Amino acid sequence: MPDRIIIHIDVNSAFLSWQAVYNLQRGHPVDLREIPSAVGGNQATRHGIILARSIPAKKYGVKTGETVWEAKNKCPQLLLVPPDHHLYMKCSRALMEILNEYSPRVQQYSIDEAFLDYTGMEERLGEPVSFAHRLKDRIHKELGFTVNIGISCNKLLAKMASELKKPDMVHTLFPGEIREKMWPLPVEELFMVGRKTAKKLRSMGILTIGDIAAADPDLLRHKLKSHGLLIYDYARGIENSPVFPGYYMPMKGMGNSATIPFDVEDTRTARLILLSLSETVAMRLRYSRNCCSVIAVSIKYSDFRHCSHQQRLITPVNCTMDIYKTAARLFDEAWDGSPVRHMGVRAAGLERDSHMQCSVFDHPYYSRNLELDRAVDGIRDAYGIKSVVRACFINSGICASLGGVGSENWPVMSSIL
Amino acid sequence: MKVLNKPVDMIAVFYRSGKVEPVKFKYENVPVTVHRILKRYDEKLAGNRRICFVCINDGAKVYELKYEVDTQVWYLFKM
Repeated sequence: MPDRIIIHIDVNSAFLSWQAVYNLQRGHPVDLREIPSAVGGNQATRHGIILARSIPAKKYGVKTGETVWEAKNKCPQLLLVPPDHHLYMKCSRALMEILNEYSPRVQQYSIDEAFLDYTGMEERLGEPVSFAHRLKDRIHKELGFTVNIGISCNKLLAKMASELKKPDMVHTLFPGEIREKMWPLPVEELFMVGRKTAKKLRSMGILTIGDIAAADPDLLRHKLKSHGLLIYDYARGIENSPVFPGYYMPMKGMGNSATIPFDVEDTRTARLILLSLSETVAMRLRYSRNCCSVIAVSIKYSDFRHCSHQQRLITPVNCTMDIYKTAARLFDEAWDGSPVRHMGVRAAGLERDSHMQCSVFDHPYYSRNLELDRAVDGIRDAYGIKSVVRACFINSGICASLGGVGSENWPVMSSIL
Repeated sequence: MKVLNKPVDMIAVFYRSGKVEPVKFKYENVPVTVHRILKRYDEKLAGNRRICFVCINDGAKVYELKYEVDTQVWYLFKM
């Protein structure tokens, strides 16, 4: 028996099956999972990509991430449902509540995935495979959606195991089974091998995960730098990070962006949108007790050209107005005057806000602005995000706190195990 | 029984113990008194908690009422 037993739980087509179960609970006659359907943005507001699709939709070739228009071309009868991130948070919390009943060592890895450290629990809860079947069936019975469970001796292999065959399955992938179950898979199935790495690997004649494991590590390092060694280890099933209880994410920065329903062509509207995004980012910064020393602005033009611009500040800040002023200046410097469809504000270089460096260049109202932000945060915390809004947003048609889906603290994807 | 899932106005008892019991509701402007509760169970589908009551009137008419905890709305779910 290996030293550790790690279980990975992954919800099958999470957003879609959560919506399907919720609809069934409300008495809808059709199960979205059984017909070609997808969760996708609203084309009218230009949020037109597929976030999740049902298995029947997959048969038509509908892919996650493609535009609604492309998906509709492939499958004209595709039923689209708008995303509901509050529902997803509720489902995610309910899933975590069940997992926490079994072990205190549960790491929420993303909104629909979690790791559970099963080491030493066999005596009380039985063999891991039979436990996994019981857990999977309980989740299905109580919460109504299906999950895939992977069991192995580390987080990487457990995650790879749960990806093997879907839906509603339990798989094991112990080191002895790697050769048979993981090595024949194509390279892009390996965690941390994306589209670009896969292309590079293929050009080197490396087609399967087994080929990576058999490749010369020096060659991989030469072609892919340290990432090459990482995937070399992963292909051999080597990974030993612990299960971090709760939600663990070494945060390097945070940002919010929004696709605007219309093209922005004037400075005044652009500034309002930047202020609105800065408001969201600054609130999240303060909530996480951080301040930032780098501010970046990104712009996507209506012809899908993209540019970004950033600046390091002399002293770290988390005041809405400070972030907005820097963002506005960066935007003015970067913008070429073309119509803009998507804007983003990002804060990086995070530091704890327990102590803050003052500067002779701080404006005289710095501490008063801090007080103001604290008061506004308090009101919004108690009465909702829309309870206090800046007067400039009234009748502007622009939301006073753009960006974000309500689930920022559980990123949908992560590259750090 | 047919699935309706229609919100209804409800008079219910919320006991000190935390137990909830439907007493009388109005459906399409007709008041209905709950005669007997046959079964109660909790539902947590999609993480959305509902307390469900299978009720019977006049010894034959079976129907289901559900109380959604988050929104505090009563539904006539099936009739």
